[in-house]
Amino acid sequence: MYAYYARLALKSFRRNRGLTALMLGAIALGIAVCIMTMTVYHAMSGNPIWWKNDRLYAVTMDNWDPLRPHDLQHPDLPPQQLTYKDALYLLGSNIPERKVVMYARQSVLSGGTAERKPLPVSTRVTTSDFFAMFDVPFLYGGGWDASGDQNAVPVIVLSKEQNEKLFGGANSVGRTIRWDDLEFRVVGVLDAWSPVPRFYDLNNGAFSASDDVYIPFGWTRPLAKYPNGGSSNCWKPETVNTFQEFLGSDCVWTQMWVELPTRASRERMQGLIDGYWAEQRKAGRFPRPRDNRLTNIGQWLKDQSVVQNDNRMLVGIAFAFLAVCLLNTVGILLAKFLNAAAIAGVRRALGASRRQIFIQHLIEVGVLASVGAVLGLALGALGLLGVHALYVTNDPGNVIANARGGYQQLTHFDAISVLWAVLLALGSALAAGLYPAWRIGRVAPAVYLKSQ
Amino acid sequence: MSLDIRPVFSSLLRNRTGAVLVAFQIAIALAVLVNAVFIVHQRIEKMNRPTHLDDQNLFGMQIGEFTDRFNYDASVREDLAYLRGLPGVVSASVTNSVPMGVSGSAQTVWTQPDSKGNRAHINYFSMDEQGLNTLGVRLISGRGFRANEILPPLNETNAGDFVPQLIVTQAVAQTLFPNQNALGKAVYDSVGHASTIIGIIDNMIGTAYWGYEAVDHVAIMPQLPRLYGFDYLVRTEPGRRDAIMRTVEEHLATSNPDRVIKWTRSLEYYKKLLYRDDRNMGVFLITVTALLLAVASLGIFGLATFNVSARTKQIGTRRAIGARRADIVRYFMVENGLITTAGIVVGCALALGVGYWLSLQYQLPRLDLYYLVGGVLALWLIGQLAAWQPARKASAVSPSVATRTV
Repeated sequence: MYAYYARLALKSFRRNRGLTALMLGAIALGIAVCIMTMTVYHAMSGNPIWWKNDRLYAVTMDNWDPLRPHDLQHPDLPPQQLTYKDALYLLGSNIPERKVVMYARQSVLSGGTAERKPLPVSTRVTTSDFFAMFDVPFLYGGGWDASGDQNAVPVIVLSKEQNEKLFGGANSVGRTIRWDDLEFRVVGVLDAWSPVPRFYDLNNGAFSASDDVYIPFGWTRPLAKYPNGGSSNCWKPETVNTFQEFLGSDCVWTQMWVELPTRASRERMQGLIDGYWAEQRKAGRFPRPRDNRLTNIGQWLKDQSVVQNDNRMLVGIAFAFLAVCLLNTVGILLAKFLNAAAIAGVRRALGASRRQIFIQHLIEVGVLASVGAVLGLALGALGLLGVHALYVTNDPGNVIANARGGYQQLTHFDAISVLWAVLLALGSALAAGLYPAWRIGRVAPAVYLKSQ
Repeated sequence: MSLDIRPVFSSLLRNRTGAVLVAFQIAIALAVLVNAVFIVHQRIEKMNRPTHLDDQNLFGMQIGEFTDRFNYDASVREDLAYLRGLPGVVSASVTNSVPMGVSGSAQTVWTQPDSKGNRAHINYFSMDEQGLNTLGVRLISGRGFRANEILPPLNETNAGDFVPQLIVTQAVAQTLFPNQNALGKAVYDSVGHASTIIGIIDNMIGTAYWGYEAVDHVAIMPQLPRLYGFDYLVRTEPGRRDAIMRTVEEHLATSNPDRVIKWTRSLEYYKKLLYRDDRNMGVFLITVTALLLAVASLGIFGLATFNVSARTKQIGTRRAIGARRADIVRYFMVENGLITTAGIVVGCALALGVGYWLSLQYQLPRLDLYYLVGGVLALWLIGQLAAWQPARKASAVSPSVATRTV
């Protein structure tokens, strides 16, 4: 019976080729536009480490100017980063299961196997927990131990991409390379890892690529170089001439994350921070009202406005467009079904029930929706290529991490978006067909039998 | 001649659903069209903002020094001499960052010591005496820097120093000294170092890192940059930028083994990057709006065509009892006009509502009513155009159709 209904549907499509094409086009276009905006939105609003959402917390303390907030556009938010001295103090705590203090630097790699030009790279100077805390996968070797948090241990971890450039992808653990002309030993090579958005450092572009190399945080003091890769912000009228003075200043430039698996540990950590705050306040620091936060990743991404207003608007417009496409389809289906009401009338007179007429037409709609969904998916994939092209700026000096966009990943079609798209397509098209199919099911047979 | 709205209207009432669906399409189309055009127009205005720089003929390159052997003074002197000696180069300067770029430095200055008086957050560029000419920014009053005024770079022992002289944009001058001439006035950094404004320049675009609203709050400082890295900025004669970029990149990549060229990029590249999201938003909005109008008008067209073929017999009957072709055309046009008008009335409310909501939600300016008037006219026209061909087809129905079948 269903096969027969499907055959009837095909016949009906052939009867009105133009209208069928119009409906298919409308469904496909509406779906394609929605898929495009939803895919980008989905990637932007995603939580790339959702499985640790209730364990990982960004640590912030409002050490800012008593007269004005850190960010005038978001006066309710404390600075995203900590001062070196506060981060160092909190790093001494045993409460978190893991803790990371870090910042970005731009530096130059030389050496490696191939005789090659020195290579500018972005470096993450970080404490040892970074890799385990953020579930960073290793291809070869591993990270370093906690001694690197305090001391300038000359070990380095390379990203997969850098290892390919420097060592042709071979296992380079144990090899030496020069980082800003200092000798470092490779202890680990990462596997591909590029979270979108780059939650752990949104300051340097939420959709930038991951860092190229990683070195221990203990290098900060001996290097004695002003941070040149991230952002450092100061507010306090204080003389900062030497690097030592900079480390002791109220300038914020380090990022801190802690892993707190339980509610109790979270409360203890908050207590520690608040206690430290109170002590420092007595000593004349922290002039603003107390605002020490442990923020989980989901909230962090929201606070830092990773998803832009434009993307929200685009999703809205895409759905308005889909609505027009569907209204269009409803109108055409209705007219089409009612025009062929005489046939339905005859079927009813010959014994078909209302239900059967309804199902017959619903199947016609279903076939239409399926074809429209497939077309829409294909169109959407094409459209995403176009979106990708729009975002990739042809960069003649494409070396530093900042300019390499993560838009590849934003426009990437993943399994979830495909599933979404198919559900959206079938759901919306069936919704469009439901009313017309119901209406035609209500046709009274007698009227159509009288004439002719 | 009357339009005979009554019979059209009552027949529409008889067959409401189709008409209502079309009206809703028109309503949504109007709301999207009006707001999209409004937003796109704002973005175009933003992108057309003058940079007050010679941005078409500028390029920058970032230098990475990475060994202790690197001799900053000798290297910069040598590189600048090379750059300035190249045929086709108008001028070149060292700078701490490239205008319109993705990174830069800023600090706050006050009109009185001890962080008092008016304040301005300035995005500064540390350049040498060729800085202004390299940027191509117009000096409104005062003067540029002389060679003997350029300070050596800050280092790890004097990073807190301030420059004794400054050149600022008009926007900064007005923020600090509203309704006064800022030239010759002193400004102070947070710890009370004073600096005199010796020149005022056009509102050149700096770095948008601190928000696009304050992108022209820019100052030029007479100092060689180094502490946070340094770049070269080169201005070429029109049309020669790309060739010179290649030559320079090749030469500098090998002329000194103690530094690398991190990148070489035109300012055009950075300008594109700066407005990339606006441009993409515009492209997307225009595309979706155009598709939406196309789908809606095709829908009107399709439905009208369908109605005409479904009513062939009735049309024939009307023709047989004396209706002229023009009457038939008018019937369908009036029908379309009624539906479109209903849709437009709903659409106006929807457009204003969406516009109001957007202005609240995203801090956009309120929808300008001219856009609504334009949108209404456009949709009415689109509706009538979409119905025109089916109406003509209807008028071609022969009166004899009425007599053929019952």
